[in-house]
Amino acid sequence: MPRPDGGVEDAYEPSAATRRFGWVDRDLLGVVFGGSAVVLVATTLQLSFGSYDITPVDAWRTLLNPAVLLDTAAWRAFLLGATVPDFATGTLVVWTIRLPRVLLAVLVGANLAVSGAILQAITRNELASPFVLGVSSGAGLAVLLTVVVFSGLLPFLPLFAAVGGGLAFLLVYAIAWQGGTSPVRLVLAGVIVSSVFGSVQTGLFLLIEDIGLVRSVIAWTTGSLVGGDWAAVRMMLPWTVLSLSLALLGARELDVLTLGERTASSLGMRVETVRFALSGVAVLAAAASVAAAGIVGFVGLVVPHIVRRLVGSDHRRLLVGCLFAGPALMAAADAGARLALSPAQVPVGIVTGLVGGPYFLYLMRKHGEFGGL
Amino acid sequence: MSSKLDATDLVLEYPGGERPVIDGESVTVAPGRVTALVGPNGSGKSTLLRGLADQLTPTAGEVLLDGRAIHRLGDRELARELGLLEQEPTAPDGLTVERLAYHGRYPHRGRFDPVDDDDVRAVERALSLAGVSHLRDRPLGDLSGGQRRLAWLAMALAQDPDVLLLDEPTTFLDLRHQLAVMAAIERRRDEAGTTVVLVLHDVEQAARYADEMIVLADGTVHAHGDPETVLTPEVLAAVFGVEARVESGTHGPRVVPLRPVN
Repeated sequence: MPRPDGGVEDAYEPSAATRRFGWVDRDLLGVVFGGSAVVLVATTLQLSFGSYDITPVDAWRTLLNPAVLLDTAAWRAFLLGATVPDFATGTLVVWTIRLPRVLLAVLVGANLAVSGAILQAITRNELASPFVLGVSSGAGLAVLLTVVVFSGLLPFLPLFAAVGGGLAFLLVYAIAWQGGTSPVRLVLAGVIVSSVFGSVQTGLFLLIEDIGLVRSVIAWTTGSLVGGDWAAVRMMLPWTVLSLSLALLGARELDVLTLGERTASSLGMRVETVRFALSGVAVLAAAASVAAAGIVGFVGLVVPHIVRRLVGSDHRRLLVGCLFAGPALMAAADAGARLALSPAQVPVGIVTGLVGGPYFLYLMRKHGEFGGL
Repeated sequence: MSSKLDATDLVLEYPGGERPVIDGESVTVAPGRVTALVGPNGSGKSTLLRGLADQLTPTAGEVLLDGRAIHRLGDRELARELGLLEQEPTAPDGLTVERLAYHGRYPHRGRFDPVDDDDVRAVERALSLAGVSHLRDRPLGDLSGGQRRLAWLAMALAQDPDVLLLDEPTTFLDLRHQLAVMAAIERRRDEAGTTVVLVLHDVEQAARYADEMIVLADGTVHAHGDPETVLTPEVLAAVFGVEARVESGTHGPRVVPLRPVN
């Protein structure tokens, strides 16, 4: 039977079954394998070099050593916090000092990238990032308050940071709410809250008398993985698994949200409920990374941007791409932060900023207009 | 059987607006027919359409879909039966025509359900009806304005609603695409018995394609009926402020505007 478009009815008849895995294509696999390759290279560098040099081959041999890999006592130590069994120095350096830092970079990168992808879809703005909804200012303020006012509670710093980020986000939402929210009001409310909190932060800095403390607070608010250990990995892992799974389950909602709230609503979506729930997932992911690494800029902004260019705007593909590209950027940046000026270390946030800024400059020059999703 | 849409004593206003845009109107939309909403700019056509779709909550009055109040239906439940295509929707440029059409299946799919054969059938039918099957893998950003509008129409058709509301589906399109849009809507009505309400800017186009016309003036229904009875020189003068001759043609009444009424 001929069709008005000139095609023949049976020429193309996809079934539901053939469509199910149609979303994994060469572009996405490229991001997955490319990202994994970068992480592997960065891991090799991170495991081998430092004050205790190991050859890359030995580093991998140590990492794949069955005596550790199959040792339940070791895994109990890593994942549950039990005492680490007696290993050779090289093994201890690789397994308890260098590996957790790499794992942390991977988790932080994945969290920030996915968080950014969600927030860019919700605000329909490519320039949104995990920190645009006030998370960074809230977390930063919480950190300073802990250091200056409640110094007895320093061990709970990451927790307070995450709570501060979450509270700031709720405040932003409350300010933006007028019988409903809109992407523009959310972003504006984020800017307002950030600037007010930023002023308070700066004021608090002046109250700290110990210069060493000021330095460590600055390192923290720039984002740093120095001292990242298995305890941090343990702290982050459950929240990461939770928020990233929720994000992937929400992929279709994100797709429909990018069609605009009116269309989404005509299609039967409860736009406000879905938007709030997904923002919550994004804030959870960002807060987990803030708790572990401080405020690492640009990853949540740049990674979704690059991945969207490679795999398109379908969120299932975009989020999966971010799960590999985010860790790649973060692991590579941290390798640079730790090894470039060795023995001195710079906060990884400085490296991501140095990479991310010029990338945006390049985009601005090359494509006169960007920002709208 | 086709679905019937009834609005009774509907009052529609926007928050912060000085007075209601629609103030206590009752309208019955004929089931299985194409009804055109016409009226001058600012007469409340789009507002009425949004009220009929429960996208704007009425201050008073209610809208009944086959006798059930639409604001009591669940959002997805309503979206399975009633679709609204807004005037100029936007989507990411990289989205392909086929994926856009699949988004029309949103209310039919459980939150975590994969695509099933019903979805594939509905999307294929919608793409073919809108005449965009050959564009299925093209990103929206590469298409002309007319092709893009047809792609959105395919999304609304894939939603497979019993009542389809369209806000100015032909405005700003070239002649060829205007005809393609109207042809798709007529075929949908004939094949599926869908009740269609559309806002049209062009009175003559409305007269040609619509089975019924509703003429809105300043938020009130001025006339409602088939094009022959509605389109009179008196209505055109009173509502649109033009002096015009109405001739009967093979495709319904033809309007020849002569001059603005002083």
